Amino acid sequence: MSEASAHVVHHGPPTSFIRKHVFSLDHKVIGKQYYALALVAVVTGMVLSWLMRIHLIAPNWPIPGLQWLSKVGAPGGVMTPEYYLSLMTMHGTLMVFFVLTNAPFAAFGNYFLPIQIGAEDMAFPRFNMMSFWTTFIAFCILVAAFFVPDGPPLAGWTAYAPLSAVGKDAGPGEGLGQTLWGLSIFVFCIASLLGSLNFIATTLDLRTKGMTLARMPIVSWAWFITSCIALLAFAVLLPACLLLILDRIGGTSFFIPSGLNISDHLQPHQGGSPLLWQHLFWFFGHPEVYIAILPAIGIVSHILINSMRKPMLSHKTIIYCMMGIGFLSYMVWGHHMFLSGMNPFSALVFSFPTLMITIPATIMTLIWLGSLYGSNLRINTASLFCLGFISMFVSGGVSGFFLAQPSIDIYLHATYFVVGHFHMVMGVAAIFGVFAGTYFWFPKMTGRMMSERLGRLHFWLTFIGTYCIFMPFHYLGLAGNVRRYSAFTDDFLVPLIPVHKFITYSALFTGAVQLVFIFNLIYSHFKGAIAPANPWEATSLEWSTPSSPPPFDNFGGKHPVVYHDPYQYGVKSSTGDYLMQDSPERAGETP
Amino acid sequence: MSAEGSLKTDLMVYVGILVMAGLQIFMAYHSPGVIRMLVVAAIQAFLAIMFFMHLRDEKSTLRLALIPATLFVLVMMNMVWADSYRLIHMRPFPK
Amino acid sequence: MSEANLTMGHGAGVMEERPFAIPSKKLVMWLFIISDACTFGAMLFAYGYVRNAAPDWPHHFETASIINVAIMTFILVTSSLTMLIGTRAAKSGDKSGALRFTFITVVLGLVFAALHLREWMSMIHAGVSLFQNPWGAPLFGASFFGVTGLHLAHVVSGAIALTVVALGYKRGRYNADDIEIWSLYWHFVDLVWMFVVPMVYLLNVAQ
Repeated sequence: MSEASAHVVHHGPPTSFIRKHVFSLDHKVIGKQYYALALVAVVTGMVLSWLMRIHLIAPNWPIPGLQWLSKVGAPGGVMTPEYYLSLMTMHGTLMVFFVLTNAPFAAFGNYFLPIQIGAEDMAFPRFNMMSFWTTFIAFCILVAAFFVPDGPPLAGWTAYAPLSAVGKDAGPGEGLGQTLWGLSIFVFCIASLLGSLNFIATTLDLRTKGMTLARMPIVSWAWFITSCIALLAFAVLLPACLLLILDRIGGTSFFIPSGLNISDHLQPHQGGSPLLWQHLFWFFGHPEVYIAILPAIGIVSHILINSMRKPMLSHKTIIYCMMGIGFLSYMVWGHHMFLSGMNPFSALVFSFPTLMITIPATIMTLIWLGSLYGSNLRINTASLFCLGFISMFVSGGVSGFFLAQPSIDIYLHATYFVVGHFHMVMGVAAIFGVFAGTYFWFPKMTGRMMSERLGRLHFWLTFIGTYCIFMPFHYLGLAGNVRRYSAFTDDFLVPLIPVHKFITYSALFTGAVQLVFIFNLIYSHFKGAIAPANPWEATSLEWSTPSSPPPFDNFGGKHPVVYHDPYQYGVKSSTGDYLMQDSPERAGETP
Repeated sequence: MSAEGSLKTDLMVYVGILVMAGLQIFMAYHSPGVIRMLVVAAIQAFLAIMFFMHLRDEKSTLRLALIPATLFVLVMMNMVWADSYRLIHMRPFPK
Repeated sequence: MSEANLTMGHGAGVMEERPFAIPSKKLVMWLFIISDACTFGAMLFAYGYVRNAAPDWPHHFETASIINVAIMTFILVTSSLTMLIGTRAAKSGDKSGALRFTFITVVLGLVFAALHLREWMSMIHAGVSLFQNPWGAPLFGASFFGVTGLHLAHVVSGAIALTVVALGYKRGRYNADDIEIWSLYWHFVDLVWMFVVPMVYLLNVAQ
């Protein structure tokens, strides 16, 4: 008893403004802070992608205002090829670390994991606050790279050595900019470790009465599995960043081979191996892909069940599949390195689990589709984005089959095919998960509904737009268009420029459409229709809180008691065709 | 909490770990070998985890959660060796 | 029904039972330890990688430095033992005994760090730096200082943490559980040293 009640009261309600909104211990505020940070990062990253796309189709056109961002990188507004790479690096780093890791996992996880399991707060609220502010510091360090004299680094978000390790000789931005990058990611690793420790402890220890592990909603499971992956994956990136920083400022040469001559300057380093960086980085990097997509899978499954008004064919199988993906994600990192000069035998070894990992992914897709078949799907923005997610996940996933095989990958490696593949399956799919989550949980987070009409407009335009952007990427890749070229003016790629133009126009259009979303977000926050207590007639605990947004202790001083599996839909009860998890009622027969 | 062994067990484990540390130094001069050294170190680590850190007294689920996860990650990292030797031997493993 | 359910089964709490039946803090410490084990693992793998890839890896550790390492090992393992005694005292309510042995542990840890720094100094005097050394592969110095430096940072932060926790325990801010939890960290630092010694020192002895 004493042990259990020790956790009933975490902290009192905040009083001062700073405690309430800035250095808040409340997981809900921290979740929103993560969301806001991800929003800032995603807008920045999207603007960067616009600049890159414009440059690709009009390499000599001065982009108004760009010269103020960097005098050296974009003299007169025309970006240099190096600056193109810098923008690409920052786009990738911002999107992967600060959007895809933060939004579906840290933001929604922080907000809804404690509520869904019936807890008052995370297990360690102070830790939680620290992990957000550490992330924020990492973000500031990264963005500072824009404003150092040399500009941001140009080694890509993967920071391949030796380019990233030798320092200034490697190009503009490889001086201070790259060091800031390494530092930022190092700090980000620490923040993620703190966050995932907290998530695991919360999930295991703070479940309310009756909320057994088997009764947790899919999305809570997804956050839990993701934090287990993050716990061990970021632990490997941490020393990798440490060694990279040592190489850069300590003069060591872990990642720099002997006799390297860069910019007519013989490098003093000797004895290291660029492959070592790739191994360490991708050992983290591949699990990171699943850190981005698993929470989205969870969110989508959670919302789909609600919209279908009936249980999934087997929601437990989806959880097992997520565990399987988490397990396999540590065995496949070498498939990023088929052409790196890695041992060809290892390529075979890595190819096999890579193909294996499609099995759980396929099982999940089949469960979604099989459950959708014959269901009475409620069409709203959230469920539309879920369908969009499945579509993106499948289209992007199918191209993974090609890339998983070393012999085909030799042809497709480092082409736009790869870019199209990961943008669809990891980028857009995860973002669709975030959109779905936003439309679904907005009533809970603010007490107001988002505009459904604007939401549908946003969905359809985004859905069509993203396909227009990323489908042609596959074609470009098959045609041999190499990634990371800043312009295709006078080489064999000239005939492909019309395709690039189409992509650029689609990207500008799709990006602009996101203004609808942001407008909807802001407008509905202040002027949206007041949300009923349970607008989606959902069953999980986040809809049992006494108010929307929930009070600081989530359930108003009480602890809910859970009696049911999370998805009691399509049953007969006093509330209609569903039964809340904390309702003591017994479900009747299926109507 | 009372079943955490006694000072006697602690001392025995302590002496055991020190003896194995001595054994490693002996091996360093007479029969050096990475695998052999690692096996001894792993036994030391096992004793430290089980007796010093009292994982022996925790629930078996905790043991099953922590140890396989860590070992799995560490075992997977062994895939890097095939590349390390190739730099000078130009083959996956030294002859 | 709800009243009945509340009192049934899992005792009288309002929460589900913890699956591992340990305090959350202890769970977090265990999770941190396995995460840190992967960090050290990656560090040692990186060291092994560059060592394998070097044709002229120096084998220079003389008998004197091996004796020094043996003493350091002895001190660190002994500090684990004193930590154990301190933890047991804290668990049985013997506050002064717990404090005494925890501080002995901290002192042993600091002696370890001092011996380590002395060894670093002598190596730096011998011309070993992060990017060169008089004996062979330049990465020897980098990986030596990298691996042992990471370990040393853990020892020092462990000593600081134990001091803070022990002082808090004295004032009643922390309890015996906290001492036990931080002792886990201390034993882990000891455990890592058991891998650092054979990999970094003993494989490179001067025959």
